Amino acid sequence: MQKIPALFIVNGDKYELLIDPHALLVEVLRDELGFHGVHESCGEGDCGACTVLVDGLAVLSCITLAASVRGKSIVTIEGLAKGADLNTLQRAFVTHHAVQCGYCTPGMILSAKHLIDENPHPTREGIKKGLAGNLCRCTGYNKIIEAVLAAAKGGE
Amino acid sequence: MLYRALHPISYLEAKTVSEASEICFSYNGTASLLAGGCSLIPLMKNGALKPQVLVNLATIDGLKYIEGSRSEGLRIGALATLRDAEKSLAVQTDFPSLFDSITQIASVQVKNMGTIVGNITEGTPASDVAAMLIALGAKLKIISPGGTQMVPLDSFYVHVRKTILRPGDIIEEIIIPPRSEGTYTAFLNLCKTKEDPAKVNVGMLVRIAEGVCAEARIAVGAVAPVIVRARKAEGMLQGKKITPALIEDVAAAVRDDEGVRPITDIRSTAEYRHEMVEVLARRALTKIQQKAVH
Repeated sequence: MQKIPALFIVNGDKYELLIDPHALLVEVLRDELGFHGVHESCGEGDCGACTVLVDGLAVLSCITLAASVRGKSIVTIEGLAKGADLNTLQRAFVTHHAVQCGYCTPGMILSAKHLIDENPHPTREGIKKGLAGNLCRCTGYNKIIEAVLAAAKGGE
Repeated sequence: MLYRALHPISYLEAKTVSEASEICFSYNGTASLLAGGCSLIPLMKNGALKPQVLVNLATIDGLKYIEGSRSEGLRIGALATLRDAEKSLAVQTDFPSLFDSITQIASVQVKNMGTIVGNITEGTPASDVAAMLIALGAKLKIISPGGTQMVPLDSFYVHVRKTILRPGDIIEEIIIPPRSEGTYTAFLNLCKTKEDPAKVNVGMLVRIAEGVCAEARIAVGAVAPVIVRARKAEGMLQGKKITPALIEDVAAAVRDDEGVRPITDIRSTAEYRHEMVEVLARRALTKIQQKAVH
């Protein structure tokens, strides 16, 4: 089986590599490019832990064939902070204690980013719907919703 | 050696529908089509599907569209996603029951990835979208190496996860006929959670002319290996004024339809499904009758 050439733009940087045709996006991002903030949990598209943005859309990297998103612009959780300077959503998650074990958090924040990018002023109901594809087994969802509401208002 | 969840495959990108069709035909059943991947990749991961070749359709230009209106009908291209449909003004305003069937399923991520054609091609009898499309009288434009055919969606399914598609057949678009004056529709389902596939669903279309029912289509899902048209119940509506007594009779006829043969599984019991299909049919027809009056 022959590897195929691929270019990915991850968090604004270009990466050129040879990939397996059967590699999933989560496998390439984590194991070949080192973006360990992309988490895999259920592996079948139900839990949202592996969420990344591809050309601005929230997608599930555990059921995305890497070859099928060649040339596209990908954002992982590593792409949000500028050095030690967290972005608004990340700061809001810290302030509102919306993180416990942290495993779901990268996917949760990227889904929230997708939601706010599409609709800068979401309602509580809109946030629930927008984050319905991201499961958290620790904190419950109230603190997460509070964090996203605060971030959407531009605060922490 | 890096871990891989999928077995090794060859990966090809198609530039046209006919090219994709020729490629799949030449591999004689060992090639699978990839669009959103939401059904295909999990099925490959659990070993239910073992294609040797994946042919990506997403590289074909001009298939990502939802066009039309109430008076023209709707055309949905093979690469239009569930999210495209949810955001389409034509779907929201002119085909509101189709919107209802789509907006309540799955997550944002799955809707961003998954195509409408992919949803209905998976062949699950619990597909909310497919049940509503059958009620709307949708047809599929299927491209094959030998030519093009139009197939009504209600004769597309053979069994659970089995459709009439043969290697080389590709659905290019879904065509929903125009909605004539006096047409009313409804979609309802029951699920364990909002994220879960339906225990039972019903899509319904009724056209009223001069106070009586001139046309009716009732599709019920997750009660048999394929989505069922409740034809006897449809026949009972023909030429009749929709009264509360008729609604009761029609709902009972849906329940008693010979095609309705539910099973017990992880989501529900056969008995509950049997009872609930009557309840949903009654509610859907009541909704339609109320819309028709106002």
